[in-house]
Amino acid sequence: MSDGQRSPSAGTGQIVVSGLTKQYKNVRAVDDLSFTVEPGRVTGFLGPNGAGKTTTLRMLLNLVTPTAGTATIGGRRYADLTDPLRSVGAVLEASSAHKGRTGRNHLRVICAAAGLPASRADEALALVGLTPAANRKFKGYSLGMKQRLGIAAAMLGDPQVLILDEPANGLDPEGIRWMRGFLKGFATEGRTVLVSSHLLSEMQLLADDVVIIAAGKLVRQGPVEQVIGSMAHGVRVRVRTPQAAELTAALREQAATVDTDGHGALLVSGMDAPTVGRTALAAKVELHELTTERPDLEGVFLELTAGKAEIR
Amino acid sequence: MNLVRSELLKIRTTSTWWLLGIGAFLATALAFAINAWLAHQVLSGNAEDFGVSGEQASAAGQAANLYTSGQYLGLLFVMLIGILMVTNEFFHQTATTTFLTTPRRTSVILSKLGAASLLGFGFWLATTVIDLVAGTIFLTVDGHGTQLSEWPVHRALLLNLLAYAIWTILGVGIGTLIPNQLGAVITAAVLYLVGTQVVQLLFFLLSNWLDSQAVVKWQVVWPAVASQVMISGSSTELTPDWWVGALVLVGYALVSGVFGVLITRRRDIS
Ligand SMILES: Nc1ncnc2c1ncn2[C@@H]1O[C@H](COP(=O)(O)OP(=O)(O)OP(=O)(O)O)[C@@H](O)[C@H]1O
Ligand SMILES: [Mg+2]
Repeated sequence: MSDGQRSPSAGTGQIVVSGLTKQYKNVRAVDDLSFTVEPGRVTGFLGPNGAGKTTTLRMLLNLVTPTAGTATIGGRRYADLTDPLRSVGAVLEASSAHKGRTGRNHLRVICAAAGLPASRADEALALVGLTPAANRKFKGYSLGMKQRLGIAAAMLGDPQVLILDEPANGLDPEGIRWMRGFLKGFATEGRTVLVSSHLLSEMQLLADDVVIIAAGKLVRQGPVEQVIGSMAHGVRVRVRTPQAAELTAALREQAATVDTDGHGALLVSGMDAPTVGRTALAAKVELHELTTERPDLEGVFLELTAGKAEIR
Repeated sequence: MNLVRSELLKIRTTSTWWLLGIGAFLATALAFAINAWLAHQVLSGNAEDFGVSGEQASAAGQAANLYTSGQYLGLLFVMLIGILMVTNEFFHQTATTTFLTTPRRTSVILSKLGAASLLGFGFWLATTVIDLVAGTIFLTVDGHGTQLSEWPVHRALLLNLLAYAIWTILGVGIGTLIPNQLGAVITAAVLYLVGTQVVQLLFFLLSNWLDSQAVVKWQVVWPAVASQVMISGSSTELTPDWWVGALVLVGYALVSGVFGVLITRRRDIS
């Protein structure tokens, strides 16, 4: 690409990670990692403990120097953004405030450095519901309040891109629901959301796309449904019956695939639950359980990262 | 400019600065009382009893000493503020937020230097105003006149300002080189406080061993000694000219500042 040419992701909030690598003394925390994150969608960043998520996000934000590779936001490295806070908001684990400073003053310090009006501090506090604790010192904050203050700090510049490292950490159920709605709304406005999390059921509700890494390497990237659908089996029906042999025979006659789950239940694929029930009725087989099982993100995640999830 | 404002706000919104401010005020008050008593004794004919002679024994020399009361601990306090401005970022893990807000790390360190210099100036101004008000009253009452038109007095005030500026900047430099709060504070205290006597002894032994008086002058390479040489404004057979001390201190401030910036630019924040 020549100098004058704009990269395809310029001006948008697209995140491009390319060949990113971080070698620490004893561990290759991130290993030749490449993926993209599209604006207008919520992208979940998943991986077992020690997979390299935090390291990747910190390299993306110019806090950690990559050993190799690049990471850009809207076509530019974070260090080259003219107005970083107005472009990118970030909530990182272990981001903190001075213990003796109040929440409001913490935000005002950031506003001053970024050239934002001090009134933004109060607006951001109101946004995350922290106004009542605005004048209390940070050391008196609960875990969830600290997390909310971090989110408020990220929102000060009304950014185009949000990057969050386990933001649900410490939030109460109400807070988690608020954040889900907030991030979805944020993406709906055409902005970019990249969020790492271990809460896979929450991710399934929240994310449009997922990037799954393990041991520093990319395992899978794509829309959530597609990643779930790519697994070996699709929807299955779990059946319990005292006459397993008869039912298995009857189902196989109808071209269904039948397995056992090893705990006395049958797993039927290639047939929906009503048809299984009807087949059982026709064969005069007694049923004790009949449930549809959809593969979920958790199952897919565990399958994809099996054997790569040890702490390094 | 925004960054300097932000750095000043960081200091104003914690209790560190006024704790150190109160400390500096108390130190100034105490030092003033001692210096006033000393001036009274020296100027009423007891100079020999206190080992004070030459220019030091003149009214102007005593006035200069009085008008810079609190300097010894004041310099320590401004250096501590400089150190804390940097190490607090790591101790309280605010470095992440700071460098997210301003990815250009050199600018961050430079703005800390700017804010620290302003603070150093503020400390100098406050202690000097206190010393001048109390000092002129005391000297007039004690019958020596204010001495405010004397060059040794002017020189002492200006060198005092220079000392405040350099030690504050040195504090920031030490903080960037040693981000560990406790480590930086202890190192600085050793450089400033413990140093002098030990260094004088070391250089004295060295000069005996080498059989050379000139070697003793080299103790000026030690920051605390350099500071004293600079502040004294005059040389003796054991110390070089004041500007040598000033150059040594400026050198330390520059080197620590430059290396501090280089290291900070490369450091992983995690
Ligand atoms: N500063 C560091 N020095 C040495 N090794 C490090 C450093 N930071 C991270 N690592 C190592 O890099 C690997 C990846 O760590 P990272 O924090 O990125 O994982 P993660 O995916 O965020 O894990 P978690 O889900 O537990 O937050 C780990 O093996 C970790 O021990
Ligand atoms: Mg992590």
